[in-house]
Amino acid sequence: MATAARETLRPSYRAAAVTAAAILALYVATLAPTTAMWDASEYITAAYTLGIPHPPGNPLFVLLGRVASLLPLGNVAFRINLLAAFCSALAAGIWFLVAERVLAQWIEVRWVRRMGAVLAAVLSATAFTVWNQSVVNEKVYTVSLAFFAVVSWLTVLWCDDPDGRRADRILILIAYLIGLGYTNHPAGFLVGPAVATAVLVRRPGTLLRWRLILAAVVALGFGLTPFALEPIRAAHHPALNEGDPTGCKEKIGFACTFSDTTVTRLMANINRVQYGKPDLSARQAPFSAQMGMWWLYFKWQWLRDPHSTQSTVQSMLALLFLSLGIAGGVVHYRRDRASFWFFGPLIATVTVALVYYMNFKYGASQSPELAGVAREVRDRDYFYLWSYSAWSVWAALGLVAVWRFLALLVGPTARWSTTAPVLLLGALPLVGNFRAASRAGDWATREWARDILNSVEPYGILITGGDNDTFPLWYAQEVEGVRPDVTVAVTSLLNTDWYMRGLMRRPAVKYDEAKGPAVYRGRSWPVPTKPILSLTPEQLSQVPEYIDVREPLRFDQGDIHAVIDPRRLEEGVPLRSDLLVLQMLKDNLGQRPFYISRSTAGYAQALGLDAYALTQGLATKIASTPLTASADTVAVPGLGHVDVARGLALWKSYGAPAAIIRRGDWVDRPSASIPALYTVTALALGQALEQQGREGDAQSIRKQGLDVAEGARITDWFVGAVPPTPAPAAGSDAPRGTPVPARP
Amino acid sequence: MPRPISGASRRAHVLRLAAMLVILVGFVDLARGGIVLAPLALVVGYLVLAPLSFFID
Repeated sequence: MATAARETLRPSYRAAAVTAAAILALYVATLAPTTAMWDASEYITAAYTLGIPHPPGNPLFVLLGRVASLLPLGNVAFRINLLAAFCSALAAGIWFLVAERVLAQWIEVRWVRRMGAVLAAVLSATAFTVWNQSVVNEKVYTVSLAFFAVVSWLTVLWCDDPDGRRADRILILIAYLIGLGYTNHPAGFLVGPAVATAVLVRRPGTLLRWRLILAAVVALGFGLTPFALEPIRAAHHPALNEGDPTGCKEKIGFACTFSDTTVTRLMANINRVQYGKPDLSARQAPFSAQMGMWWLYFKWQWLRDPHSTQSTVQSMLALLFLSLGIAGGVVHYRRDRASFWFFGPLIATVTVALVYYMNFKYGASQSPELAGVAREVRDRDYFYLWSYSAWSVWAALGLVAVWRFLALLVGPTARWSTTAPVLLLGALPLVGNFRAASRAGDWATREWARDILNSVEPYGILITGGDNDTFPLWYAQEVEGVRPDVTVAVTSLLNTDWYMRGLMRRPAVKYDEAKGPAVYRGRSWPVPTKPILSLTPEQLSQVPEYIDVREPLRFDQGDIHAVIDPRRLEEGVPLRSDLLVLQMLKDNLGQRPFYISRSTAGYAQALGLDAYALTQGLATKIASTPLTASADTVAVPGLGHVDVARGLALWKSYGAPAAIIRRGDWVDRPSASIPALYTVTALALGQALEQQGREGDAQSIRKQGLDVAEGARITDWFVGAVPPTPAPAAGSDAPRGTPVPARP
Repeated sequence: MPRPISGASRRAHVLRLAAMLVILVGFVDLARGGIVLAPLALVVGYLVLAPLSFFID
């Protein structure tokens, strides 16, 4: 290679590092100070306890997160959020190098190339989903993004010199990193087809060199070995041990670790058997609608407009960045064919192929006018984070092409400086997304976790329903040590075979009165002496997935005589989870306080326990005898009995209302049932106070509740009559199929 | 011409050995219940030493 050409291709590593550092600074300025809704709490807890999050278990993330949690900076959640920020900033720095490398084939002026590269880095880092996912560790996708970028850069280097001294080593390293990336998330393999295409186009003979191929396969296999973490850690029964991928019942041992049970459970975890996956030929929504979902979220990237106040501007910007990206792709093809045959297939894989593979239902906020279509429980823009990040590189190349065109238009020799202001278009996402992408100062989820745990009396059992009323509680208990005496049991996981085993294994923790709320002080709380369930492991394994009955069932225990109408249950028949909840109630009456979270949308009523359900703040306590109205227990129409004194005392101790009001917005509509629960709680208390003749107090608490709704921007949910009904259930995140058995 | 993969330098061999050793230490500590040394060793082994050993001549 000629010296001049080599000089042109010399990467600006220092400039890329400075750009990445600037982006990291932006992320830190907008970083979440603590945990957040959806999977953030699960992953932070898994990392901190070196546990196992939901299948496939993400062992590489867990290792990285655990190391991040050891940093002497801020709190544990902040440290792990910092990992997400670091990975995205690293990716942005590498996109700088990739863009600069492409521009080197086309633009002679070095500072112009660097400006184009900075543009690629900034655009990719400030696209809404990338930014929003980089300021809280909600998923493991920013780690995957960093792997994508590193593999991309290595492939570009290989394409530059496929016969060079290091060419084979680069390919082997790529294979290793693809394997290792898979242990973070299966998306790690998505970069594989693009690498294969690049090799096939650039040096097809490479694929016939069997020694090299064998070495690459071995490297890839070696990259997969972090999965060994799962059975080893599972055998130590960490607090978070999803799938329980071990055959060891008590403690780790050679025989039980290398047993068939371990292999079966580990493979079930890696292959996500627990969730199932519909056949790709059975589309969950028309493919056109699934591409429509990608387009909806594409529009969000350049101007996130969560309350639809700037829809026209948003659509125009989306068309602009779509056009710039297409122009960038064409330029890439024309000017640097070698790297195009990697990058083009990469974008195709993480866009069209991924849309087809994910096979989503309609998006949570897609085409709201379509009633009755099956929808995802939340918006899944994060699955296309890699797509939008890579597209930004092409959009930057497209903008440089526009810049060059204008520069040539201005004069016979390119007037780059004069026409440089056009690059400000690249700053639009930075400005437009700042408010929505930032998570700075958002403490609401952490406060919610504390509030709901403190709504439960010492040593109580709390039944929850989904991700958002469970994961933050795991975080509060395991990471911050808040109310570890409470046993949290989530119905969606009670349908699995491993979850109850873990619950029964959970050690009893003594209630710390000094750390608990004032309302429980000065009383004696007997320490439970029995396990939470009386069933033996054998009996537990024999609990059926469901009972195929349609007629009302009776539940009798002590003074509780409940009639369960299966039609009121979510699946129309009693599931394993319902049977286990009733068994827990049976085994713990008089032993432990038994609560059902009010975020479960009336689960106590569905179990026929209306007459025994006493609302205490955010939770419903199941009494052992039928309730009657008294001085402090008020029967509120539509809700049931409300413990006014306890409710007021708890309300005063809650931290989330102030946090929600301070923030002035909520992360998304699907999880807004959490702030809605506070509003509903305040309205119910208001109604009870009114019935007691305490008008002033009633008005005051109602106003506080409506302020929360305003803070979360959900006042439209409470327009007109103010029904004191429980909020909708918090759903389950991730396209996991369903952890409940198929409908009978 | 690409350097043959079997022709790694002494430095690469030493790095590869170090990566294996550090990863092994990590898994042994993990099996003993360690949650500090184990993740540190495994991250250094998998993300620093092993990639370097593949890349360096």
